[in-house]
Amino acid sequence: MDFFLLGELAINGALVGLMYALVAAGITLIYKTSGLANLAQGAIAMMGAYLTWAVASGLGAPMAAAIVLALVMMFVVGLLIERLALRRMAGQPVIMAIMLTLGLEIMLRGLLPGVFGSAVKRLDVGIPQAPVFAGEFLINRATLYGGIISAVVIIISMLIFNSRFGVFMRAVSDDQTASWSVGIRVERAIAVAWGLAAVTATVAGILWGSNQGVDWSLSLLLIKALAIAILGGLDSIPGVLVAGLIVGVAESLATGIFDPIVGGGTRDVVASVIILLTLLIKPHGLFGREHIERV
Amino acid sequence: MTLLALNNVEVVYDRVFLAVKGVSIDVPEGGLVALLGANGAGKSTTLKAVSGLLKPERGMVSRGDIQFGGQSIGAIEPAERVRRGIVHVLEGRRVFEHLTPTENLLAATSMHRDRAKVARLIERTFDWFPSLAARKASKAGYLSGGEQQMLAIGRALMTEPKLILLDEPSLGLSPRLVEEIFGIIKRINHEAGVAVLLVEQNAIAALSIAKTAYLLENGRIVMSGPADVVADNPDVKNAYLGGDHAVDYLAVKHYRMRKRWLS
Repeated sequence: MDFFLLGELAINGALVGLMYALVAAGITLIYKTSGLANLAQGAIAMMGAYLTWAVASGLGAPMAAAIVLALVMMFVVGLLIERLALRRMAGQPVIMAIMLTLGLEIMLRGLLPGVFGSAVKRLDVGIPQAPVFAGEFLINRATLYGGIISAVVIIISMLIFNSRFGVFMRAVSDDQTASWSVGIRVERAIAVAWGLAAVTATVAGILWGSNQGVDWSLSLLLIKALAIAILGGLDSIPGVLVAGLIVGVAESLATGIFDPIVGGGTRDVVASVIILLTLLIKPHGLFGREHIERV
Repeated sequence: MTLLALNNVEVVYDRVFLAVKGVSIDVPEGGLVALLGANGAGKSTTLKAVSGLLKPERGMVSRGDIQFGGQSIGAIEPAERVRRGIVHVLEGRRVFEHLTPTENLLAATSMHRDRAKVARLIERTFDWFPSLAARKASKAGYLSGGEQQMLAIGRALMTEPKLILLDEPSLGLSPRLVEEIFGIIKRINHEAGVAVLLVEQNAIAALSIAKTAYLLENGRIVMSGPADVVADNPDVKNAYLGGDHAVDYLAVKHYRMRKRWLS
């Protein structure tokens, strides 16, 4: 196997990994404020892509306007999920809220293709098809743009967490009752986290939708995103960034190296193997928050 | 002038378990009131009824009225109560462990828009608690128990309260630290003019700084009055202050006797 092919696989894999990481960033955002793993993140990404397509082709709006409109609508959808569904789970065991998000995933996966039709929709955001040459390496232009946009969005969400509002969100994730006791509007902080998570998911949904078309299979991004979130430690956004690169490169190399040997299909095994290995070897992930214990 | 008035407040958990059975307490403006009682008497529950933190524990005020500054606050959200001037320092300190002390203080400023004021408040808090200033960059979870208690009190003061509810500030602290914390509470009350409702198991320490005291047993107020009068009551002395005479070990079965007033 020659070096250039491996390098090319690694670069393209890293970019794809960043696009996965964007979905994982939403999971981390919600985990960091409300301490619950959102299993509906894949379906929310799919919903964002469907909405963008519906606005663009249904209303005939220009793509840029459709994207902005979809982002705003999905932010509201995130707020509504918190307001209508999760707020009722206050004081209940966290597993109930997690089951609720899983139910939401399954419902959206059935509902949206039902409403919009199950045929694959074409979502053209205007990224040219021609590949980019970086020296000798051939880079897919869609993944290059996608990776860069993803990295920017992830870095923005990192900055949000370090702002004043981010301090409130982190306080909420540490101790909800104590947050109430000092006047933090806990419900609002969690709602905003859901809104932001829905926005990042929508960006990811649009990027992936423009790559592979919009249909229910976009919600399968959940598996990759979970692998990245778990490897990164669930509550660390830099962790998401690093884990995204690892998962993307591992997937791409596995495809390039093992697919010719076993006859294909290794791509989808990688994420599962990574989830399994992380949980066995380092359950808190690479950058997971340590459990503070004073002696 | 009454700042906080509880009128016949009754609290149930899970809609069945009656934890507080008709409690009436008055806290005057700038007052320092102690609420004493044994484990499970309903002291913490009473404080949570005032600050509105019963909901996460599936509790609710089922009867009675809580008035703050002349207005009923029963239907108001906890965050809004903080904006009106009630702040609750929870039992067991409950600092934000993964945040630094500075971030802990910052987390309690969601009601202040003016950033210069926030910076001023943080500076004031570090002036009050110099030992916190020395460790402002480490995670709060690694502070000592006394430092965490100071941080919890300092964090509460960031909200500029009119009334501070303190739940067991002496819990798990050495006698010297207890003295220091109670000195701080006295200072907050005297210098900043903040009214204090203090829940304590350490009755001696609490009665030494409080002006008035209430005694809670089994969810009911069984005694109330000026702190020195309550402290002089022979039953209180026996049950909470360790007795004013040597224990007669021949009559040791009376040693654990508790007065049951109303039930």
